[in-house]
Amino acid sequence: MMQESSISINNVSFSYEGYEHIPLFSNLHLEVPKGSHMLLLAPPDSGKSTLARLLCALVPKYQAGTFSGSLIVGGKDVTESEPWELTDICSLVCQDPQEQLLMTTCKDEIAFPLESLKVDKPTMERRVKESLKSWNLHHVGEANPQELSGGERKRLLLAVTEAIAAPVLILDEPFDDLDAYWRGELINRIQTSNSTVLVMASRYINEFHGTFDRYGLLLDRHIEVESEEDIVMRFETMCDAAFAPSKIEHLATHAHKICCEHVVALHPRKSMGELKPFTLHCDKFHLESEEIVALVGPNGSGKSTFSRALCGLDEVQSGTFSYDDAQVERKHLQRIVGYVFQNPDFELFLPTVKDELMWSIKNDLRKSKDEKESLVATCATMFGLNLNATVATMGYGMRKHLQAAIHYMLNRPFYILDELDSGITYAAAFEMVTLLKSRGAGILLITHDRSFAANLAERTYTMSKGTLIAEAFE
Amino acid sequence: MTTNMFIAGKGWLYTLDSRAKLIGLLLFCIQVFLPMRQIGVWFLVLLSIAVAIRSVGWAQAFSPLRMVFPVLLVMLMFVPFTYRDGDSMFIIGSLTIATRESILQFSKFASRFIAITYLCILFFWTTTMATILATLRWFGLPYRQSLVITLAFRFVPFIAEAFKMISDSHAMRESTYGQKVHKRNRIKDIMPTVTAALVFSLKSIPNLAMSLEHRGFGRSNVRTTFRSLETNRSLFTHCALSVIICVLFWILFHS
Repeated sequence: MMQESSISINNVSFSYEGYEHIPLFSNLHLEVPKGSHMLLLAPPDSGKSTLARLLCALVPKYQAGTFSGSLIVGGKDVTESEPWELTDICSLVCQDPQEQLLMTTCKDEIAFPLESLKVDKPTMERRVKESLKSWNLHHVGEANPQELSGGERKRLLLAVTEAIAAPVLILDEPFDDLDAYWRGELINRIQTSNSTVLVMASRYINEFHGTFDRYGLLLDRHIEVESEEDIVMRFETMCDAAFAPSKIEHLATHAHKICCEHVVALHPRKSMGELKPFTLHCDKFHLESEEIVALVGPNGSGKSTFSRALCGLDEVQSGTFSYDDAQVERKHLQRIVGYVFQNPDFELFLPTVKDELMWSIKNDLRKSKDEKESLVATCATMFGLNLNATVATMGYGMRKHLQAAIHYMLNRPFYILDELDSGITYAAAFEMVTLLKSRGAGILLITHDRSFAANLAERTYTMSKGTLIAEAFE
Repeated sequence: MTTNMFIAGKGWLYTLDSRAKLIGLLLFCIQVFLPMRQIGVWFLVLLSIAVAIRSVGWAQAFSPLRMVFPVLLVMLMFVPFTYRDGDSMFIIGSLTIATRESILQFSKFASRFIAITYLCILFFWTTTMATILATLRWFGLPYRQSLVITLAFRFVPFIAEAFKMISDSHAMRESTYGQKVHKRNRIKDIMPTVTAALVFSLKSIPNLAMSLEHRGFGRSNVRTTFRSLETNRSLFTHCALSVIICVLFWILFHS
């Protein structure tokens, strides 16, 4: 007997306006039965987010393009529906939580769709309270979502989804930003969910094993559904082939060391008026050239606060920073420690890849224009970038590559890589870290993926409730 | 994509009903444009700063002054050349830089501008955006219009925050340690930073619309309300208090 489909994609073709010659999908087919939990693996920039938006009727309405085919979600024809007609049918959690946050308190964020769905006030209050508690956000109910950490924001969006309780959930890279505990929780909730769940991911993490009842691969504009083993094997082979570790020339450099001692930094939540603002304590920290050190810890534990202090972006209450045993001021730290932001949008601002890379060396008066252009071209090749590509139209993964290339050009003695691995494959992240290290840089790697950290890092620091603790890998 | 200007703090302004605060804000804003003695407007400025210090603390209380400083500077540059009547006060050679009339005019414009800035900012600092939305709806404004107004007040500070993040990121891309950065280069770098913030904001607009519609904004049914304001006896007291303060102020300082 044929199972009833909750998501039905038939003969779907789509290309963005102005890119008709490069269709994103052609004759796409996918059937996800009602109540099924499916993992759709896809390399970065293959159209995961576009597919998710197509299923929610947000594209081509807001991102113009040529569409053909049929899309049925929860029994409703998406092509003839407005996004608001699907609110109680299909919930989407985007890769970047910032794209979806609307309101100025967490409670209001959860309540907004319930108000739209005409849920009565007592039920609404109960659902808001329950979903906040369920995702351990009850203590920040009145806080501004902008003051939450990346992981807390992702949990807030998952709490919104839980409160709506739609029969179809589309989760675009939902595990990014979440710490180990919440990744496990999300896995449990997917497994026990009665809804149809479609998870889209650009890498296969260990927690996925055995979680889903269907596995698919979005590749070359098509989706293929096979067994977990086959899909994972094909996906990993493809990723390894795309980023086969190149023979990276190791450049001899001077050895440097950066240390900080007895650092105390405050991070108050203005909207909460906490009597005791979040306080970061770092008794001792050091990082040396050519070293890869991981910084791990739960969401909201203070990893970003520490990183911002270490690269001189935020002032600290007390403590000292030293570079090669000489004390340095905050403004100088900015030129010693490069910070690769988690969100590439905060770093990229020029029209083309070439402009971005040239900007990094514009103040280097020792090099001629020709030398600079040659360096930029070499760098672009190393990071798999097209010099003339328009930055605004590049996908998330390629923008991450560009970020790493920019910092490679800057040639700082130290780097903080804030969740560099999110939204890209392990192989690509590994390649980028190796390239940055090849110029002798010491790297502080912030990640929620302990296995990724264990594969790369020589030492690790753990951040726990605002306190930095050094530990060794077992 | 949106953010709040609300700062949790202490003081009577936090306990004053948001509807009374809005009435007081409007009355004061109107008053400063009516014939008032200069000392009255400056007194209002000082009073607002004192309330700000009490409400959000010293460090935050003076931030609006930093924000309006460039505008005041522009006023100071142009007002003396616009108003040339009255006794000469500052003269260089045969050129009168500023007359008594121009200084009085500058004082009038500056005091009004600072007073209105502080009054509005105090309102936003001490009232959550959800309460402002509920207040506008209580006064009879339809939900859609109330949401659009509050979204504007949430989106602008968000752009300001994005600008700060982008500036931080650009600061990280300055020359290496030991190399000197020319001030001229820093000024040249402002344009790409502003452009990046603008591009970021423009890209956020469709996302904002997408998110609103995905969360059901646009449905034909009447929305329910999560937060609503109660109408009780204290509302009358608060509104009366607000009006009395404005009237007293008018009696004391009108010209």
